[in-house]
Amino acid sequence: MEPPTSVNCSAIECTSLSTSAPIWLDILAQAMTGELLAAMNYTSLSEMCEDPAEIADALEHAQGEQGHAAAFAAEGRKIGVDVTNNVDAKHWKRLRDAFLRCITERDFIGCLIVQEIMLESFAVASYSRVGKVAPGSLGGTFARIAAEEEDHVDHAMAILRAERARDAQRFDDKVYRLHLDVMTTLTQMLAKECKDGHCEVCHASCVKPSLFEVSLSAAELRGASLQQYLKTLDMLGIPGEVTLRWVTQLPV
Amino acid sequence: MGDAVASVTTRARTIDADFALIGHQESWRAAADVLAVLRGPERTPLLDDEIKDILPWIPPRAVCHVDVGSIVGTKARGLYIDSFIPPDRLEAAYVHENIARVRGAAACAIEAGAKIVSLGGFSSILIEGNFDQLPDRHDTVFTTGNTLTVAFIVQGIQKMCALENRNIRKSTVLIVGATGDVGSGCARCLAPLVRRVLLSARKVERLRRLAAELEANGVQVEIETDLQRFSAEADVVICAASLASPSPLLGRIAPNALVCDAGYPKNLSPCAQMLGATVFFGGLGQITGGMRFAPDFHGILNRHPFPDVVHGCLLEGMALALEHRFEPFSQGRGFITPERVDEMETIAARHGIYLAPLYNADGPVEDALMVERMSASAKGQVELPHLLFEIGWEAPGKFGN
Repeated sequence: MEPPTSVNCSAIECTSLSTSAPIWLDILAQAMTGELLAAMNYTSLSEMCEDPAEIADALEHAQGEQGHAAAFAAEGRKIGVDVTNNVDAKHWKRLRDAFLRCITERDFIGCLIVQEIMLESFAVASYSRVGKVAPGSLGGTFARIAAEEEDHVDHAMAILRAERARDAQRFDDKVYRLHLDVMTTLTQMLAKECKDGHCEVCHASCVKPSLFEVSLSAAELRGASLQQYLKTLDMLGIPGEVTLRWVTQLPV
Repeated sequence: MGDAVASVTTRARTIDADFALIGHQESWRAAADVLAVLRGPERTPLLDDEIKDILPWIPPRAVCHVDVGSIVGTKARGLYIDSFIPPDRLEAAYVHENIARVRGAAACAIEAGAKIVSLGGFSSILIEGNFDQLPDRHDTVFTTGNTLTVAFIVQGIQKMCALENRNIRKSTVLIVGATGDVGSGCARCLAPLVRRVLLSARKVERLRRLAAELEANGVQVEIETDLQRFSAEADVVICAASLASPSPLLGRIAPNALVCDAGYPKNLSPCAQMLGATVFFGGLGQITGGMRFAPDFHGILNRHPFPDVVHGCLLEGMALALEHRFEPFSQGRGFITPERVDEMETIAARHGIYLAPLYNADGPVEDALMVERMSASAKGQVELPHLLFEIGWEAPGKFGN
């Protein structure tokens, strides 16, 4: 069945995207779910903060992430698909639970590590790759949001570096503990195949085997994301030989 | 894909190292072994296609600590930094990506506070004419390590000639890749010792310049860009070409030629037809004062049939660190002279860094030659005391007991 075309869609764009629309739909659904989850995380963070400036900052971030989710939904409409989301899908829920554990422990630094270092590394890298291959405004939107997410990381970096300067060993231990939880889930999400069943976000069967049709691959998205993660950890000052070991021990 | 290049960021230094070694894995098998150590024995080793998916994305970074000792008791702390150049991306098409990776590795060394950095063979080739492309160096100096590589190649040739009872002074030596830093260094060192020198490389102008330099010292020299035109004339061959992968380089070769493969990656494919030739890997040294990896990469990063064997280029940085001579001993292309080689050999030997036992793809060559010569001796073709003297054999009890 041909997906319905939107009245806002230019003829050229719709023609070029019509065959690949189901693939873009799943990519957009994953991205939109990630953005909504980030918005929920920032909202939770705002509820934990006491400093009015920090509360305002977290709420502004939450609003920004909701804006990103809306932008992805709008891109879906342009190619004639209705982008849905599922923040309760199994992998995403595990990521949300990891963040909520930090909230429960009132661990502000832990929250920043999960959201800004781990989740944003994956967002920045994968959106950048999608931005390079997606046609027209779809690619532009992914590239723009990737750049905005990168700004988030820069913002958190100063706080996290200062925290590491206080007690590097304690900080690195915390990152490693969160890494085992969050990064294991993220790498399972981007494994070549979903070995433990449907991800509950893709609309039909898993989108990964079809990614090559839009010049992408799960291996490329995973590789780029882990590379971005390693570079971000480098910027924090965690020794490269340590983070290399962490990353090579993740599931494939 | 594969733009896994560390951005040259300024961060607080976390380690203070005397030296750093920059390298990469020559084969997917070697890369798999490195990743297996990093994953630990409790995890399933990665499959080949998984390694090929992962490795190109790893940014350059330290893999392990390397501590070395000298026979005079000094010690030096170092780091091995892998540029993670994928083994199948050594061709010219990837040169910019690979230079960027070496730059990223150099940035890691600088950040670690390394006082001296040795560039592995292929990294040297990428950077030897482009030292200005390295990041700001602060107190870190870089050496290609090529002087010690040349020293060990020349020592290896001399040792093999002695073992095979060849008179090096009557030899015709062919140097493949003669205009490179290592090739030209070998030419300068061997020219006064042999009868005739044949130089082969791709660029004729460079060949002419090197030939003129050697001829000015009274050496008989011939040059050729087409290797096959005079490969059969040489009885000693040094392969020091910059090749992306091993190849059947020497199509025609004199029977019983002595061939030193000093390339990294290796120049000669195992399938190369060299009937009757004796092939050995050149440019390798052995550190006798002790070498320790943490985590333990023994036999993984130095994949040789003998313990503590390392490429000469990397040993140069270790020797200079043990000597507390933090200076860019080898830089640029074409500056390696016999005098500099002598100086580096002396420094290395002072700290117990010597020519490694010689071997090839089939295993140690000295043992095989020894058996052959012993057999000849039994038949009365070679006098045993003369043979033992040639190979430097020491009588038992000389050092105590």
